[in-house]
Amino acid sequence: MAVGLTLIFGVMRVVNFAHGDMMVWGMYLAWLLATRVGVDPYASFILCAAVLFVAGLFVQRLLVQRIVDAPHEMQILLMLGVALVLENAALLFFGPEPQRVRSPLAQSTLWLGSVFVDVARLVTFAVAIVLTVVLSWFLFRTDIGRSIRAAADNPYGALVIGTDVRRVYAIAFGVGAACVGAAGALVAPLLPFQPPTGLQLSVASFNIVIIGGMGSLLGAFVGGLLVSVAESLGAVFLKPSLKELVSFSLLVLILLVRPAGIFGKRVA
Amino acid sequence: MPRVSRRTFLRATASTVALGAFPRALRAQPKTVKIAAIHCVTGPLAEPGQACRLAAQIAVDHVNAAGGIKAMDGAKLELMLGDTQTKADVARAEAERLINAGAQILMGTFNSADTNAIVPVAQQRRVPFLVDISAADPITANVAKAVKEGQQKTQYVYRNFPTGTLFGVRAVQYFNEIFKEAGVSPKRVVLMHANDLFGSNQARGFQAAHKAANPSWEIVEVIPWPEPPSDLSTEVSRAKAAKPDIIAPITRPASAQLLLPEIRKQRVEVLGIVGPGSPGLYEAGQLAVLKEDLEYVMTSVPWPNFKHPRAQKLAEEYVKRSGGKTLDTNSGYSYDGIHVIADVLERAKSTEPDAVVEALKKTSYKDNLMVSTGPIIFNEIGDNPNAAPAMIQIQKQKPVAVWPKEHALAKFVFPRPKA
Amino acid sequence: MKPLALGAAVLVLVALPAFPSLFGSYAVTLFTLIFFYGFLGQAWNVVGGYAGQLSAGHAAFLGIGAYTAALLSVERGLTPWIGMLIGGALAAALGGLIGFLGFRFGLRGFYFVLLTVAFSEICRVIAGNTEAVGGALGYYITFTGNPRQFQFQDTRAYYYIALALMLAATVLMAWLERRRFGVYLAAIREDETACEAAGVNTFKYKMLAMVLSAFLTGVGGTFYAFYLFSLQPNTVFGVPLSVEIIIRPIVGGAGTVLGPVVGSFILSPLAEVARYYFAQGGWHGAHLIVYGALLIAVVLFLPEGAYPRLARALRRRATVA
Repeated sequence: MAVGLTLIFGVMRVVNFAHGDMMVWGMYLAWLLATRVGVDPYASFILCAAVLFVAGLFVQRLLVQRIVDAPHEMQILLMLGVALVLENAALLFFGPEPQRVRSPLAQSTLWLGSVFVDVARLVTFAVAIVLTVVLSWFLFRTDIGRSIRAAADNPYGALVIGTDVRRVYAIAFGVGAACVGAAGALVAPLLPFQPPTGLQLSVASFNIVIIGGMGSLLGAFVGGLLVSVAESLGAVFLKPSLKELVSFSLLVLILLVRPAGIFGKRVA
Repeated sequence: MPRVSRRTFLRATASTVALGAFPRALRAQPKTVKIAAIHCVTGPLAEPGQACRLAAQIAVDHVNAAGGIKAMDGAKLELMLGDTQTKADVARAEAERLINAGAQILMGTFNSADTNAIVPVAQQRRVPFLVDISAADPITANVAKAVKEGQQKTQYVYRNFPTGTLFGVRAVQYFNEIFKEAGVSPKRVVLMHANDLFGSNQARGFQAAHKAANPSWEIVEVIPWPEPPSDLSTEVSRAKAAKPDIIAPITRPASAQLLLPEIRKQRVEVLGIVGPGSPGLYEAGQLAVLKEDLEYVMTSVPWPNFKHPRAQKLAEEYVKRSGGKTLDTNSGYSYDGIHVIADVLERAKSTEPDAVVEALKKTSYKDNLMVSTGPIIFNEIGDNPNAAPAMIQIQKQKPVAVWPKEHALAKFVFPRPKA
Repeated sequence: MKPLALGAAVLVLVALPAFPSLFGSYAVTLFTLIFFYGFLGQAWNVVGGYAGQLSAGHAAFLGIGAYTAALLSVERGLTPWIGMLIGGALAAALGGLIGFLGFRFGLRGFYFVLLTVAFSEICRVIAGNTEAVGGALGYYITFTGNPRQFQFQDTRAYYYIALALMLAATVLMAWLERRRFGVYLAAIREDETACEAAGVNTFKYKMLAMVLSAFLTGVGGTFYAFYLFSLQPNTVFGVPLSVEIIIRPIVGGAGTVLGPVVGSFILSPLAEVARYYFAQGGWHGAHLIVYGALLIAVVLFLPEGAYPRLARALRRRATVA
C-alpha cells in the first residue's frame, strides 16, 4: 500500500489523506467478490486493482486536477473531504461491523519444528514483491513510466520536452490507487476492517513511506518491513500497547536524520 | 358565513399565542413525551451505537402499542435521534440541539467519554439523563459527589448499566464458581485486553476484583494492545510464553478477529478462553467470520434473560428489523432503558424534571429483560447495583447463557474439548 | 472599504454578546463551538497560515493544555484560571521542541506535517498508557458549576469566554500582522530561501510562531476540558481533532486575519445542517457524506479560501458604491 502512496506523492506532491480509505474500499471489494461471487482474494486482487485504477483516474480528473496548483493545505483539505465521503459511504453500504475475508490460505500455518509460519503472510509477502518488481519495470522500462518519473523530477522540464503532464498525473494517480486496491485485497484476509480503519491505514502508510523514503519503491517496501519488525520488538520488550510508540519514534528519528528516508534521494 | 368580529378574532389569537408561549404550564398534558436517544451511530463505535438506536426504537414502538403512558392520558413516547460520531463535542451539541427541540429525557450514549460530555448539559438544563450503556465508574459517581458536597442541587444522571467495578466483581465470582463446578483448579490466567476506554476500564475492574477476592488462581501476565491493532502475533506469543491455563481476553470486534485465529495458529494449549466481559466474542457477524475459532469461548457479558417470556419474542423481532443481527448486550440494555423511562413516567405522572428524578430514585422495575440480580433500582450514586452480566458460551455456533445457574439455558463445556 | 468593514465589525461586536439572550441554548452551544474552533483555528493560523508551516498535530497542544489544567484542578485544587496558563506554557514547551527539531533539521511541507502528526501520536500513546492521568480510560472531571473551577451553571458563560478567546486571538493577529513579526512570517511563507538571503533569521521567527501557536492552543485545552468534562487520549490527542482544528482556517483562508473566523462560521453550521437533515432514520453516515461533499465543493470553488474571496467582493462593492 505504501508503494501506492509513494507513487502518488512522489509524482504529484499531493498529500493523500484518503489513501487509507481507498484501501478500505479495496478490502470491501475483495470481500464482496469473496462472499457474493466466491473468488479468493488472492485471485481477485487484480480486479480490485483495476477498479481502483479507474476510480483513481476519476478522482484525479474530477477533483485533484483542478487544484494541483493550489497551496498544499487545500490539497490536504480536498483529500480529507474525499476520505470523509469514502468512509461514510462504506458505512452506509457495508454497515459498521468489522469484516474479514475468509480464504482457505489464511487458515493454514506451516510448522517448521517449533517455529511456525503463517501461509497467508507468506503469500502476501510474495505477491507484494512481485508487484513491486512489476511496478519498477513499469516505471523504468516503459515510455509512460519514464514520463511519470520525468514529471516527478521536473514537471516544467517534462512539459518542455512535450510530455502531456496532465495525462501523466492522471495515470500516476490511477496506478497509485490500483496499488492501494491490490494491497487492500491482499491484506483483507489478514486484517479485520471496518469503515473507520481508513484513518489508521493512512497514518500507518505515511509512516512507512517516510521511513523507507519518499518516492522510492524499494524504500516503501523496506519501510513496511522495518515498521512491522520495530513494532514486534516493541511488543516483546515493552508493554504491547506501547508498541506504536516505537514506530512513531522511529519516524521522528528518520525525519530528523534522513528526511528523505532510508532509500530516498536527498531532497533539496 | 358568520362574521367574525375583530374582537373575537383578537381574543382567539391572543389565547393561541399565550398557549404557544407557555406550552407546559397551561396545556393539560402533552400528547407526547420526547425522549432523546443519543448514540454513536457513525465513527469507530458505530456498530454498537446503531444496535442501541434500533433497540430504543423497538422499545418505543412497544410502549406506544401498549397504550403509551397511561398515567398521562396515554401520552405517546416520541424518540428523537442524535449521533455523537463518537466525539465529545458533537455529543454535547447533539444533547443541546435535542433539548432545544423539546427533548424531556435523555438516553445514551454507549461511549463513556461522550456520555460524560452530556452530563453537564443534563445538570445545567435540568433534563433527566438515563445512561443506558457506559461502564466508566466516574460518570455517575462524580455527579453524586458534587451533589453530596452541595455544589449541585439535584442529580439528574442515572445509569442502569453495570459499572466497570461491578463487571469485575461478577466476572471473578463466575470464574470461581465455574472452576469449582467443573472440578478443575486452573492456576495461571493471562489477561489480554484492548487498551482503549472500555478495555482498560474492564481490565482495571477485573484486576481490582481479583485482588479483593484473592482466589486460588493468579493473573500471571497482563497484555494490553493498542486498539485497533494491526497484528497480534507477538502479543499471543507473549501470552503463550506465560504458560497460561486460561486466556482471559477483553476484545473489541476488530481485535477479536485477530486474536482468536492467532491463538489457534500458535497452538496455545489452554483449558479455555474465558473473557471478563467484552464485545467481539458472540455477535452474529463475528460468528460468521470467526466460525470454529469462537466455539467454546466464554465471556461474562450483560445478556438477555431468555427465560423471560418476552425476551424470545423480542429477539425474533430484533433479528427481523436489524436484518439478521442478534439481540444482545447493547440492544438489550437500550430496550430496557426505554421501558424504565416509561415506568418512571407512569409514576411521575408528568415530565417535570424534579418529579421525574423523584420517580427515578424510587424505581424498582421488575420486568427487565436482561439478566440481573434483582429489579432495576438506583442507589445513592445513581447506579443500578442489580445490573449483572451472565457467563455465556458459544456452543454449536450459538451464544447461550451458561451461568449463573438460574439463568442458564445450557450446561457449560469446560475445560474445552481438545480439537 | 475601510468604513464598511469597521461598521460591520462594530455591528458584530455589539450583536454577538447580545445573542444569547435572544437565542435558545442550542444556538448558544453552536456559537460557542464556532467561537472555540475559530479561536483554535486562529491559534493554528499563526504557524500554519502566516508562517506556512503546516502542522497537523495541534491536538497535542490542546491535549497537553487540557490534561494539565484538569489534573492541577482536580488533584491539586489549583484553579484552571491559572492552570490554563501553565497548560499553555507546557504546550508552548512542546511546540518549542517540535519547532526546534523541525526547523533546525530543515523539514518543510509534508515532512513537517508528518513530524507534527508523529508527536501528537506519541502523546496519545503515552497518555493512553499512563495510569496517573487515567490511561486509556480517560480523565473524568466532576461537574460542579463552580466558576472558580472554570465551570458554569449557565451555558452562556462558556459562550462569552469562547467569544472573548476568539476576539482576543483575532485582535492579537491583526496587531501582529502589521508588526515586523507578521511581515516576516508572510515572507517566510512566500519564499523562505529568499528571506534567509535577505538576512532574516527565519529560524527565530518560525520558532516564535510555533511557540505562540502552541501556547494559544494549550490555553484552549482548558476550555475543552471544562466544557466537555471528559478527556480521552484517543480524542484529545487524536488525528481527527487536529483535522477539526485545521480545516476551518484553511477553508476560511490560511494566513488571513479573519480566515479562521470566517471558516468556522462556514463549516460548523454546514455540519449541523447536514446532521439535522440527514442524520435521521436508517441512513447511518449519510450526513457525513453530505458534509464531506460540501467540504470538497468548498475547496473546488474557493481554492484560495473564503475570506480572500469575500474581501475582494466587498472591496468591489465599495468601489462601485
